[in-house]
Amino acid sequence: MSFTLNLSFSDLLLLLPEILLTCWLCVVITVDFASPRLPKERLAYLSVAGLLVTLGCLAWFDVNHVTGTLFGDMFVLDRMAIFFKIFVLASTILVILSSIQYVNRFTLFRGEYYVLVIMSALGMMFMASSNDLLSVFVSLEFSTLGFYILVSYLRDDLASNEAGLKFFILGVFAAGLFAYGISLVYGETGKLVFSDMASAPATPGLIIGFLLIFAALGFKIGAVPFHSWIPDTYHGAPTPVTAFLSIAPKGAALAILLRIFLVALGAFKPTWIYLLVVVSIVSMTYGNIVAIAQKNIKRLLAYSGIAQIGNVLIGLAAGTKMGSDAILFYLLAYLFANIGAFAVVIAVSHAIGRDEIEDYRGLGRRSPFLAFAMLLFLLSLAGVPPLAGFIGKLYIFVAAIKEGLYTLITVGLINIVISMYYYLIVVKQMYINEPTDPSPISISGPMRAVIYVGLAGTLVIGVYPQPFTDWVVAATVMFANFVAPSALAIPPNPLVGS
Amino acid sequence: MLEELTAVFPILSCILFLPVVGALVLWLVDDEDMVRSSALTITLVELALSIFVLLRFVPESAAMQFTERVRWIPALGISYHLAVDGISVLFVGLTAFLTVLVVVYSWDTIRHQVKPYMMCVLALETTTMGVFLSLDLILFFVFWELMLIPSYFLIKLWGGGAERHYAALKFVIYTLLGSVFMLVGIALLNINYHHWASLHHSDQAYSFDFLDLLTVPIPINQQLLIFWLMFMGFAFKAPVFPFHTWLPDALLEGPIGMAVVLAGLKLGTFGFIRFSIPLLPDASKSETVVAIVMGLGLCAILYGAWMALVQADFRRLLAYSSVSHLGFVVVGLFALNYQGLQGSLLTMINLGFSTAGLFFIAGFLYSRQQTTQLSAFGGMAKQVPLLATFFLLIGLASIGLPGTNGFVGEFLILLGAFEAKWLFGSIAVLGVIFGAAYFLWYYERSMLGPLGKAVKSTMSDLQLREMVIAVSLSIMILWIGLYPSPFLRMMNGSVQALVDRLHHEKTAALDSDRTGKGY
Repeated sequence: MSFTLNLSFSDLLLLLPEILLTCWLCVVITVDFASPRLPKERLAYLSVAGLLVTLGCLAWFDVNHVTGTLFGDMFVLDRMAIFFKIFVLASTILVILSSIQYVNRFTLFRGEYYVLVIMSALGMMFMASSNDLLSVFVSLEFSTLGFYILVSYLRDDLASNEAGLKFFILGVFAAGLFAYGISLVYGETGKLVFSDMASAPATPGLIIGFLLIFAALGFKIGAVPFHSWIPDTYHGAPTPVTAFLSIAPKGAALAILLRIFLVALGAFKPTWIYLLVVVSIVSMTYGNIVAIAQKNIKRLLAYSGIAQIGNVLIGLAAGTKMGSDAILFYLLAYLFANIGAFAVVIAVSHAIGRDEIEDYRGLGRRSPFLAFAMLLFLLSLAGVPPLAGFIGKLYIFVAAIKEGLYTLITVGLINIVISMYYYLIVVKQMYINEPTDPSPISISGPMRAVIYVGLAGTLVIGVYPQPFTDWVVAATVMFANFVAPSALAIPPNPLVGS
Repeated sequence: MLEELTAVFPILSCILFLPVVGALVLWLVDDEDMVRSSALTITLVELALSIFVLLRFVPESAAMQFTERVRWIPALGISYHLAVDGISVLFVGLTAFLTVLVVVYSWDTIRHQVKPYMMCVLALETTTMGVFLSLDLILFFVFWELMLIPSYFLIKLWGGGAERHYAALKFVIYTLLGSVFMLVGIALLNINYHHWASLHHSDQAYSFDFLDLLTVPIPINQQLLIFWLMFMGFAFKAPVFPFHTWLPDALLEGPIGMAVVLAGLKLGTFGFIRFSIPLLPDASKSETVVAIVMGLGLCAILYGAWMALVQADFRRLLAYSSVSHLGFVVVGLFALNYQGLQGSLLTMINLGFSTAGLFFIAGFLYSRQQTTQLSAFGGMAKQVPLLATFFLLIGLASIGLPGTNGFVGEFLILLGAFEAKWLFGSIAVLGVIFGAAYFLWYYERSMLGPLGKAVKSTMSDLQLREMVIAVSLSIMILWIGLYPSPFLRMMNGSVQALVDRLHHEKTAALDSDRTGKGY
């Protein structure tokens, strides 16, 4: 394979967001070194400013339909890539804003924290654009590198160290699987770019290779049975990092999964549908049932996150354009509810210093705003109308029912009922139980802003979802021609012909 | 396709959102008395708006009236579609009426956390109105689910019983379990529409709109599947025997105001007549469905009445009598003829006055003796003659004595049931006898005879606010009982259209040019 690199200026334009963010990363790190006395929250605002500029650039791309491919199809900038980049950047901004207070807990390297967050975000932006196995691998490892450090940032906290070690060992193991999978796939097909593989015959080597790749990506999104790192890592990591970990990498990895399953493996849909159905059912059921027994709010959100990924995989199992629309929409709804819920957790733990569900006793009295926000976020996660989560679940279910995945839908619906139970446990603590310490909880300005954004997103997407559905429908337009054989779909209505 | 009368002024949206906006305004009010009077004002305005709709409603018409239709989520075919017809219009009035009474009743019986209580009651009113007004199935589902949130807090925070936490959770989980099945049914209807629309190159790919869905034929096996899925949702909510086990707990443990709404507004059976029967006429008519559902109805009549006979607690007795009455409604609905449907619809309205009225009576008794156990009463008619009189009047309406509203509804149901299946009709008659037995027995032991030992000697008779509730309920009971035709005229058109659709549905269902008259 010959590889000639001739880049024109217009090609570089496609990389503009990444280039901007890289420059900004250097600016932040230089400012941090150059003026050590600068209050670190200035650094946070500086980072946010850079991220906003990049976000603006991406929005401009989206409006003006700037698309294209680079480096022999390794890097693709289509509307779906833009969607996921915006998704990653939005979550990064919210995470940085909710970290400002929390960073004071770190004894050392407070400035580098922001640099590492931006670095991970940069890696995930590349993930959203990766269109072949090598660039997936490189960008995936690049973003994870930042996370390895971030997870164990609380140097004196044993749980954080344990979380970091677990995440690192399992993460490296997954990377090994991924690399092995790539070598098998390349060995069988001689291709690395997804769209080139579409016509490859199914040989055993190829199947094993893709299973390994799926396992590695399953690790990223935290689907059962690749979830074992999630509870401990979420529990031990600094809470803003947990929030970041629970949303951004999942989005970026789903972009890759969508490309692999719908583009590279589109022809094998009748086979992989069973794989996804099983993983989805197991993730939802396991996540929800284990969540019931949790005493710690971060662990509860960790298990609920596993279950939510199960829901997302329903859309992937549907394997249609509508299914991918539904996934994108669901992720948007999940972004606001999940970051919002974690922001409340951060605010409460800042006041109380602990994250047990027990500590939420009487939050409705101590801080009506926080309790009300948490109520809405949890209800949105549970899928109660008219919040964003409901429309997301509905979208996914309609997409799956159209493909005749009745078993999956039934399990999904029963899981909604189960999940309502443990979300209500938290609601009960907040509103029904009397507080042990009735002193009000103060919330810092940026934190309040994050929660307001979360609330606004959850409500607006729920009540007026049309602009968002239009956006996701446009973002996945490349799957429009994807017509996969679907043996399970409902047969056409016999009465209609008469 | 039904004729639609579009509203000049979005009055239904006003009715729908006035209470919840009012609830938000209440948040700003600090003084407790101000909260009470503002809540009363809001509910009275709401009642006035509803009465206006009732007065301007064109009777004897099958048309959807006061229609408001805006696209909400075009990608999924969800619209914001509100309208009333003969089936739903009376429920709008009933909801507004009962909420006013709940606020009046709660005036001095709710003493702690008055503001959140009134906010929950108002939020509950909006969601209930939403269920009755929505003609888009997703919009309907949204309100159906949202209702759980204020209900959960009402039972949990203001419930009187020790088991209220358990009751609230049970209520939420049971209803949710039923409604997720219903959601699948709704989604299947949508997909069926999608297949039809893509074959006919319709400009709209998806639709959850009731009127759109009516125009699309559905194969019988799919109708059956959807019917049972939706049945789960409605049966859990109604509740139809054997899905009723949450009801006694919720009614006993929750506050009286909540019980009035839960027992007075028959949302589950409304779901059957609003959506299941018109959308799935073949399934509703099929022998197995009729046999199973009517069979469950008969079981409910007998089981509910039998259980009510042995209850020593008045609220528990009312819960089981509710189950029994719902059995009647179900039997009438699935007789699938004019009398049966009309009788069921009227009975649903009647129960809003009589069962809800008896819950108010239970509340009056509770505020005097701090319990509704039979052992706390006895011979009270001497001390509280007014209370005893209204108790008797509302109770007789509940057992269907001629001259009260209950008689008209039950009579029509039995007529319909006899016409459809005489055997079922004759078993249902037994329920009437049991009904008289459990009520009169309880009444005799609590109100008549020698004075009970536990009865306080200084018991006051009905207060002004209680009088207002009792008198207004009695007026409605006697009005419907003696002169029901204004109410029947309102529902006639829609019931006739429904019967036509059921019995000529072959032509109606294949009539795809969307101009057919009636359903």
